[in-house]
Amino acid sequence: MSAVRLAAADGDDRGGWRPDLEDRTARLESAVGAVLDARRSRLAGAERVAIAPDAHYPFHPSTGVVTDPAVVGAIAAWLDRELDVDLAVVGRSDDRIAFDRTASYLEYDRLADRFDAALIDLADVPKRNEYRAAGGRSVALTVPEPLLDSRVIAAPTLRPTAGGEVAGAARTLARLVRSTAAPARVAVAATRAIDPDLAVLDGTVAYGDGPVAANAALSGSVPAVDAVAASLFGRAVDDDAVCSALLPESARPVDVENPDGIDLDALEERLSGGRLPPAGDTHPVVSNAYRLYAAASGDAVPPQLER
Amino acid sequence: MLSQFRSRAGDSRTLSVGVLGVGNIGTVHLKSALAMPDVTVVAAADAVPANRDRAERAGVERTYDDYATLLANEELDAAVVALPPFLHAEAVERAAEHGVDVFVEKPLARSTEEADRMLETAARAGIAVGVDHTLRYQPDVVGVKSAYEDGDVGHVPYASITRLNDGPLGRPPAETAPPSWPLDPDAAGGGTLLELGVHCFDVLEWLFGELEVRAAATGRTLDIDVEDAATVLLRAPEAGTTITLHCGSYQWEELPEVNTRLRLEGIAGTITNRDHLPENFYAGAARAALENVASRVGVADRTVFGPTFYLQAHYDALADFLEAVRTGEEPPVSGRDGQRSLALAERAYDLAAETATDEVELPEVRP
Repeated sequence: MSAVRLAAADGDDRGGWRPDLEDRTARLESAVGAVLDARRSRLAGAERVAIAPDAHYPFHPSTGVVTDPAVVGAIAAWLDRELDVDLAVVGRSDDRIAFDRTASYLEYDRLADRFDAALIDLADVPKRNEYRAAGGRSVALTVPEPLLDSRVIAAPTLRPTAGGEVAGAARTLARLVRSTAAPARVAVAATRAIDPDLAVLDGTVAYGDGPVAANAALSGSVPAVDAVAASLFGRAVDDDAVCSALLPESARPVDVENPDGIDLDALEERLSGGRLPPAGDTHPVVSNAYRLYAAASGDAVPPQLER
Repeated sequence: MLSQFRSRAGDSRTLSVGVLGVGNIGTVHLKSALAMPDVTVVAAADAVPANRDRAERAGVERTYDDYATLLANEELDAAVVALPPFLHAEAVERAAEHGVDVFVEKPLARSTEEADRMLETAARAGIAVGVDHTLRYQPDVVGVKSAYEDGDVGHVPYASITRLNDGPLGRPPAETAPPSWPLDPDAAGGGTLLELGVHCFDVLEWLFGELEVRAAATGRTLDIDVEDAATVLLRAPEAGTTITLHCGSYQWEELPEVNTRLRLEGIAGTITNRDHLPENFYAGAARAALENVASRVGVADRTVFGPTFYLQAHYDALADFLEAVRTGEEPPVSGRDGQRSLALAERAYDLAAETATDEVELPEVRP
């Protein structure tokens, strides 16, 4: 059986979002410290730690669609204080946006300055080819060296993907490597190749069908954390190809240490079945209705509906 | 002055139009112009090949990868300038060299200084300048103006306007690369005050007469180089109305819903644009489809972008501009209107900067 450790973020009477990054970081240090303390042994002997947040695009962190940089700041503060390791925060540019742009908009550059951490765009570093089994076959991966040469903490946010699966730690790591294999197999193989020491799930703000102030942090192995996150979206481990491949039967069920008594049933009720908004500028139902209308009437189709 | 412009007065021939920039809004203008009677879109220009391909699919005869070549090669009566703001002045200058009237996407320019130079150039060349301030063409806003002018609520001591969208970064899931220029103050001239605020200033002066900016505050929800939120306190002395304006490029938007709210608080009640919105999207689509089918057999006028009132507003704004070109009248939303909106935005920036400075310089509390 595997275990995860849950902690409640410090709340106050006011609620709502605090826009100041340092203020949020300070408020999260207790909860993040608690979940890291519980997994201290996993990081023993670490000299260099790479933190891999979900920073795939500069969406506002109050929505839960990306990891709150304050959670990464709280992880960095704990590592700096408790282990005195060299720190890096990693992300990867893609064909939509450069990582330095995302990092700047989300204030990761300020965090990096504060903790003397490196801010690394994994698109620009040396890579190695790795081969790992997934789905009964070998998957070829191109893995950035910092993910192979550092101890790695994956720091996903609690949200679904566009396809409705849990975004999770494994899929966060998968975005950092290159492979032509199917996405689920890449996530499994990437997790096996990178072999992260820990996952710290940002559940401060989750995203179900919209933002949810969950005020929680969770730590454990990548498979265990992803399994718990999937369950919060109402998905059994076997319903998720990545979770089921990474979490062996012998490790199930995942034991959740919940000393703060966070109401997981209530959270699951709010998140279950959650999905990101539909792709495109308009809802697919509206797009289809418009195309039907345009075909019948001969009217012009707005450019937003032509994609 | 305006000799070239006036020489076309009373000309009822088909107008030749070029579209400079066929991104999203440029494509709306292109498709609008293509659907207009007595208008021929002879060419479009865009630096992005995919945009040119889309323009060709829409039915434009020729495309160019730069607008200056289009202006040099084509015989145009008017050009739509739907380029990023940092290219507006240069595009108007090139159009002026060729005696082509221009319909410029908002903001007219990046500053009043740039707008003034642009309008001087246009005046010297005798070309007309129109600006795409479309809020005043939206049926819900027209409804508010009509109710106000009919005296439905009497005196209006207070009004508010809010315009929000999701700006260049969009909403999840992330699909396409966001353009960089809207977040570059040198390229865009500013943030949401120039993107959305200028629309609000324009419609408020249209409603209440000349405005005075009394106070302003701006904000950024991400660590970006331009403001993505702005709140402005205004006074309309002639109407005796105090107004709050809020605009922001931070809120996820899912079309066809648009977050534009205009409320006039009068002595006898409230006028709100929500009471003047067209019926829901599906009903609107069904009605417009029936009308357009009927238009094919000649029993009704054809509508363009029928179910989407805000795109129809763009059509109407361009149609009004081209009608002014055809008749030799001053465009209904002129370059001066565009310059005026910029002046109000600049005053708001100045006051916001003073407010921010005041906050930094709070006196130290001593025992």
